[in-house]
Amino acid sequence: MRSLLLPRSRLSSLEGEQTALRRLGNVNVGPLAAAFLLSLIGLATVASASAEQAESLLARQALWVLVGLAALAVALLFDYHWLVEAAPMFYGLGLVALVLVLVLGHEAGGARSWFAFGPVRVQPSEFHKIATVLLLARYLSRHDRPFLGLRQIAVAAVLTVVPMGLIALERDLGGAAMFLPMLAAMLLVAGVRLRLLVAASLLGLVLAFGLWSFGMKDYQRQRVRTFLAPEEDPLGAGYQVRQSKIAVGSGQWTGRGYGQGTQSQLRFLPERQTDFVMAVLAEEWGFLGVITVLGLFAWFISTAARIAMRSRDRAGILLVVGLLAVVVTHAVYNTAMVVGLLPITGIPLPFISYGGSFMLFNYLAASLVLNVDYRRYVNR
Amino acid sequence: MKIGQHREHLVRRVGLLAGLVRIVLLLIALSYWWTQIAQGEQFRELAENNRLRRISLEAPRGLIYDRHGRQLVENVPSYTLLLDRSLSRDLDASLAFAAGVLELDVADLRRRLEENRGGKFQQTRLATHLDLVEVARFRVEQLEHPEFEVAAEHLRLNRHAHYTAHLMGYLGRVTKKDLATQESVVRRDDLLGRQGVEGRYEDHLRGERGEQLVVVDSRGRLIEKLDPALAHAGGNLRLTLDLDLQQEAARLLEGQAGAVVALDPRQGDVLALYSSPSFDPNAFARGLTPEEWRALSEDPRRPLQNRTLQTHAPGSVFKMVMALAALERGVITPESGVYCNGSTRLYNHRRRCWQSRGHGFENLERALRDSCDVYFYHLGQKLGIEPIAHYARLFGLGRPTGIALEDEKPGLVPDAEWSERVRGTRWYPGETISVAIGQGPILVSPLQAAVMTGALAVGYVVEPRLVLDEPVRRGEPLPISPEHLDLVRTALWKVVNDSQGTGRPARIAGLDVAGKTGTAQVVRQETWTKNEELPPELRDHAWFVAYAPAGDPRLVVVVFVEHGGGGSRVAAPIARELFETYFGRRTPEPVPVS
Repeated sequence: MRSLLLPRSRLSSLEGEQTALRRLGNVNVGPLAAAFLLSLIGLATVASASAEQAESLLARQALWVLVGLAALAVALLFDYHWLVEAAPMFYGLGLVALVLVLVLGHEAGGARSWFAFGPVRVQPSEFHKIATVLLLARYLSRHDRPFLGLRQIAVAAVLTVVPMGLIALERDLGGAAMFLPMLAAMLLVAGVRLRLLVAASLLGLVLAFGLWSFGMKDYQRQRVRTFLAPEEDPLGAGYQVRQSKIAVGSGQWTGRGYGQGTQSQLRFLPERQTDFVMAVLAEEWGFLGVITVLGLFAWFISTAARIAMRSRDRAGILLVVGLLAVVVTHAVYNTAMVVGLLPITGIPLPFISYGGSFMLFNYLAASLVLNVDYRRYVNR
Repeated sequence: MKIGQHREHLVRRVGLLAGLVRIVLLLIALSYWWTQIAQGEQFRELAENNRLRRISLEAPRGLIYDRHGRQLVENVPSYTLLLDRSLSRDLDASLAFAAGVLELDVADLRRRLEENRGGKFQQTRLATHLDLVEVARFRVEQLEHPEFEVAAEHLRLNRHAHYTAHLMGYLGRVTKKDLATQESVVRRDDLLGRQGVEGRYEDHLRGERGEQLVVVDSRGRLIEKLDPALAHAGGNLRLTLDLDLQQEAARLLEGQAGAVVALDPRQGDVLALYSSPSFDPNAFARGLTPEEWRALSEDPRRPLQNRTLQTHAPGSVFKMVMALAALERGVITPESGVYCNGSTRLYNHRRRCWQSRGHGFENLERALRDSCDVYFYHLGQKLGIEPIAHYARLFGLGRPTGIALEDEKPGLVPDAEWSERVRGTRWYPGETISVAIGQGPILVSPLQAAVMTGALAVGYVVEPRLVLDEPVRRGEPLPISPEHLDLVRTALWKVVNDSQGTGRPARIAGLDVAGKTGTAQVVRQETWTKNEELPPELRDHAWFVAYAPAGDPRLVVVVFVEHGGGGSRVAAPIARELFETYFGRRTPEPVPVS
């Protein structure tokens, strides 16, 4: 554990300019192209969703996309091997930020998870996800065997649960939950024996049953029931699901036209720029718009997965997998929730939903994926 | 971190996971297909029928009562036609239908639509004050024309419009400026109090609007009611006003331009505040046409002006302050005498007394009774302007009284400093001579005259209050010796009750009225032309200020008649009738307001 907390000082040497350019030509730019196209669609949709508001959010969102692209470029300057080595430092700084935000943070929407710097608000939990992925990639890549031992799994779980717990203390449960798919994907790829997987699944089922019977309050159970049968409670929690489904469904093939969605413009839809931005898109652009967005996500995932698969080292593979897991879980959960497949929770859609910290996280994740591809021939 | 020996294991698992994710994305795409294509028709219909209406729950505006609990205003329903363009299949047909019902031009309606339109999904006000037949027509055709909605609103009706207009103010539509400055509380198409009590107590009276979200179908039928935010009614107000006295003031000023202020000098209760000529405040709530507005605002009689707050030279009414200033500064004794032969020469100008025959030997009491100008010219000369200004300010002149009404003029108490600062010239001693009889640059409103008279009567300045629940605000006792105050009070009693008093027309048997007449010159007179011989617009303004009973002052009355001629002849009789009205009957017990 000692060595884990101290980064080994193995900084990348400066590379020759020529080889850098040549290698740049070999980078798979798919994730970047997909991310940028998704952002453009997001800009148009956010503009429409905030059209009736006093202040259109388009300009702010455009600024965040530019900031994201700039962050992507800057992060590419650092060799990911060095970033992985320095992970304990990022992780430690991140923990300090998470503790500080608990004490000094800005409270919004019931969660105390923001730092406010004048008009700019930053959510440290988004950045801690990256720090945790880096640290897990470092730890799990040390272990060069086909399968992980119980000890490795336990250490990885502890490393994940500590920031998760702090974020849960900030009452940002959605943000905390996102650490789980990340951990799961990285463990699975690093290697978990089948019998362990089965045992864990069974344990999970038993825990879920126990939670439902003994661990949940009535209103929480009601929320799950509402999800299972929204028609029974059309005015309460089921209202949002129902309005969202009406918005999506009424889009049909080609949508109702940009800025013409009655569900969106008449404010039936809650959280139109953030959590339900996909419903606005589905209403105004129809099924064609939906498959365009899903197709772009598929492209992003496929190209990122290909980058992982052609990476030469375990750290690179695990890094891409961990980041991808977070982006994919957001995208899958959000699109599924909007169409009524999963309960409503505050989980935004990557690259499209309005919001600065999250946009920055997505572009940093994309940047690290490109980083792995860019430096795949660097011998270490 | 070498290339791992087991890298191929990891690569295979990444491939497996990526494949899994692709399947999940495909499933999601399928469920979108199911929702948008397979069930699209049903959802499209639901969306078409899904209309959220924000029904504004109007907060009833607070009611206003007089001091005895008599209701002064009411809220009467009025019907407004709203058009939701997003529900109209054919806008031309819709407008033609509405034009037919309302007997209006289609082009006219189209123009209103253009003028009033808001956002695409907002309703537009197309017509107001629909009568019940028109309301019924739109309700009957609801199925054919779901785009129209008739909304019930409330108009403010002033029950005693013709004699409380200036005091109460009126309601008018919000302006762009209101929307910009108080965005949170007012909305397009709101009615806001303007001027008077309605304007000043707007926040108290308005209440808090509620909102009911309802979902209606494409035909406007209610489907669901969502979380309502209930309206909170505005607060009521009980004024200090005495409606009987106000009504009597209006009757007495009928046909003349002027103002009446009646004040209880002890608490400052405004019992009557009437400005003549008046206007119809209800017309504002109904909405004035541009022609009506022009006629009203360009009327040469200026009915919109609140004359109780407009300032003029106080004339001889000011002599009570002069007398006290001179006594306090010791420049005279009560018995100091001046001989009046009808005029005197001061600073190389001949100054006339209003009585061309002269008053003969005058002491202070007789000079006040006779309102002898020559006597006060000499007081002015002995005092100089600074003490005069000092005592005028002690009596509340030269600053707003603090009454809760907009546009109160501060008036003017001139002095050397003012002259240098505002006019850029030095103060001339000759001007002091004019101020000594209430002429020259000094300016006083009828309301200020009432505060001044009340201060003389009870010994302190009081802030006039319009609302009974508001605290009484009294100034410190005047720093003037009681003997001097009593001396002037006695003189004012003689003004009314002595057989030779200038205020004799205000005398009432059995009631001790004390008062002072005044005449504010409109043109400077070089000769003793009789006012009745002048054209009306050049005649003097008539003042009369009085209080009663002299021993226990409970009512101050100020009467101001524009171009009325002499205060004695025109204004004093009006004051007498007001005193008779007030003291001639038993004051009814206050009726509690629910």
